[in-house]
Amino acid sequence: MAGNRPKLAAVTTVYRKMAHTQHIIDRFLEGYGWNGTHHHPEMDLIALYVDQVGADDLSRDRAARFPAMKIYPTIAEALTCGTGKLALDGVVVVGEHGDYPKTPKGQVQYPRYRFFEEIVAVFRSSGRTVPMFNDKHLSWNWEWAKKMYDTSKEMGFAYMAGSSLPVTWRIPSVEFPDGARVSEALCIGYGGVDSYDFHGLETIQGMVERRKGGETGVKWLQAYRGDKFWDACKENVWPRELMNAALCRSHTLTPARAGFNDIFPTLDDMRRLVRDPVAYRYEHNDGLKCTMLLMNGLVKDFNFAATLEGAAKPFSTQMYLPMPDGRTTLADFFNPLTYNMEKMFLTGKPTIPIERTLLTTGLTAAGVDSLYAGQVRVETPQLAIKYQPAKDSTFWRT
Amino acid sequence: MRNFTRRTFLAGAAALPAFGQARPKRIAIVSTIFRLQSHAQHIGDRFIVGYPFAGEWHKPHTQVVSLYVDQKPANDLSEARAKEFGFKVYPTISEAVCCGGSKLAVDAVLIIGEHGEYARNEKGQVLYPRYEFFEQVAKVFESEGRSVPVYNDKALSYSFEKAKTMRDTSRRLKFPMLAGSSLPVTWRLPELELPLGCEIDDALMVGSGGSDAMDFHALEAMQCMLERRKGGESGVKSVQLLEGDEVWKASEEGRWSKEMLRSALSRSDNLKGFTVTDGRTQDMVGTGVLPGLVKNPWAYFIEYRDGTKATLLMLSDAVGDFNIAVKVKGKPAIQSTQFLLTPDPNVTYSACLASKIEQMIMSGVAPYPVERTLLVSGMLESCLDSRVKGHARIDTPHLAVEYKAPRDSQYCRS
Repeated sequence: MAGNRPKLAAVTTVYRKMAHTQHIIDRFLEGYGWNGTHHHPEMDLIALYVDQVGADDLSRDRAARFPAMKIYPTIAEALTCGTGKLALDGVVVVGEHGDYPKTPKGQVQYPRYRFFEEIVAVFRSSGRTVPMFNDKHLSWNWEWAKKMYDTSKEMGFAYMAGSSLPVTWRIPSVEFPDGARVSEALCIGYGGVDSYDFHGLETIQGMVERRKGGETGVKWLQAYRGDKFWDACKENVWPRELMNAALCRSHTLTPARAGFNDIFPTLDDMRRLVRDPVAYRYEHNDGLKCTMLLMNGLVKDFNFAATLEGAAKPFSTQMYLPMPDGRTTLADFFNPLTYNMEKMFLTGKPTIPIERTLLTTGLTAAGVDSLYAGQVRVETPQLAIKYQPAKDSTFWRT
Repeated sequence: MRNFTRRTFLAGAAALPAFGQARPKRIAIVSTIFRLQSHAQHIGDRFIVGYPFAGEWHKPHTQVVSLYVDQKPANDLSEARAKEFGFKVYPTISEAVCCGGSKLAVDAVLIIGEHGEYARNEKGQVLYPRYEFFEQVAKVFESEGRSVPVYNDKALSYSFEKAKTMRDTSRRLKFPMLAGSSLPVTWRLPELELPLGCEIDDALMVGSGGSDAMDFHALEAMQCMLERRKGGESGVKSVQLLEGDEVWKASEEGRWSKEMLRSALSRSDNLKGFTVTDGRTQDMVGTGVLPGLVKNPWAYFIEYRDGTKATLLMLSDAVGDFNIAVKVKGKPAIQSTQFLLTPDPNVTYSACLASKIEQMIMSGVAPYPVERTLLVSGMLESCLDSRVKGHARIDTPHLAVEYKAPRDSQYCRS
């Protein structure tokens, strides 16, 4: 083991098959397919904290198979490796999955904020910080998310977060044109509120942040659900043209009619097929309007479309997830996510601006709030988050 | 245009084609079986209800006017489709291509002879009657003194001799002919196109599934990459098929490279074994699990007349998708990619193929040479001959099929 290899700790909720922890931490331990070979990260994951250890736990198996990785009973001990001082060069926080109570609004209270606070307490007591990655959104609670962001800035450590959607394959393999003027952007995905809505929002944001002027933040959001969703759809509250384009990128369009394997649905078909549709419609401070649609029963993938100035037809692509729900066995969209983490741990610099995920965290919370308040428009002055995109694209092409 | 139902009109309304006033091209589909997810249904329907392409629901300027179906099991959809879309199912192939009259009455014929209950020969090949279908179509062309473009799905025939007759007939009667699998034209992850005229040091494809369905797809995917090599395609000199432990032994003897397999497997999203047990990623070559995991590996060794060698490994117990590794002379690293087979039921990869068929129908020019499929049909037959002849190496002087690869391989990037 070379002396200059970064040493990492992972702070996680649960390590069972198909949990995010398994997908991400296994990739550090076992390596993964990257760039045409089986790639082993040039770093060592030596400490692991797991918040919930159930009957289906894999952390003990992994620790036995990778003895360089020790399991610690507390986050502080994991970060200090029992030395009393921060003993690492990077921290991976995976607070997705596990049994946690829900808020009255239905948000799962994953303890990402608590994990963060315990990690930065070690940073403080050690007088030293290291880069940190946070899987998915920062927190279900906007105030906490903002505090996590502010703390990272105050303490000056590299902080990166988010979903696999912005970094996975795209079919077709296209980047959002730098500096494009865009009036409308839309994503059709699937999954639940306070869960896959975040992936849909990151899908959109990872693209539109490259527009002319960069990101300006979001001023309001309105959620639609059930009948109100279909009314809004009929009234073209969001562009039908973009819905059609996004649906034409899907590889998982539920056939609208028996006896057909791939047939374009009418709005009536969609209404019949979709269970509990959800839309988040929101406007950025520069006037860009975005729509995130969850259409369970119609698609099982994430598809993006946007209206670009000067283009004859919508710009569209699928953010392709090889999904191990029977379609594949490996959730390889974690490959590019892990690779981006590695780059941060090797260089000390995030490859993706944390402000993207701060914004999508706030949008997720605003969506939940709008739904909870009866699908009203919520003003979002707290989301006046300005940032510029990373110069280099980070989506998977190699 | 013919009368669409309101539903299909709406379906197509997402993106109507911008063709002028020319009448739609009339298509006859000659098929073995038309049931849900059979090739005839999922390819044929692309020309009936359209298909997703380049971000639009593309409606080809075509009209399916006749259908022949060889077998009609209880789940047959041909009559329902014909009734809804205003065409007829004819009892014979010649009636289908003449739309019940006495003269050729279509602008293109799709021969889709995949699926259905047909016997297998001693080599394990399903005896799909593609040659017989083709002969009946060609007979009409010949008696008419006029031909139209023909698409033949998958291999031309289980028999190279029959396949060659089909290709020769298309040349003699001068009609464009396209054939083959979706794999050469589906999306690749990552986008990898070998430069035309490159020198290939080594090639290894890894795939999954049984013979003689999935091995054909894998061999054709391999061929669409290799045909781009320096000098163009020159044909195949010899083949050999090994099974079981002989496959692993062949690697120890240097007949196929583990590094190449590692690269190909690094592209897979569908590894078996421990991945299925507990989700882990695996370096199957590095950990050495393959011989214990794969109960019945098959290795297809192809030696081309110009000396190039390529290997297909069918490792169904280890992998569930199709991936290739290629070592190009002058490139330090092995290059590899996955030929993406998108999920059921949409099987959107067949939309990629439909767009190439449509291109031939509209332009009258096959977008890539039928010789690719001719050669692969023969390669597969000879590999299966090797198997029944005790896995012997077989010389294949009959496979001196020469052709030039298209400038662009035309896999889907849109």
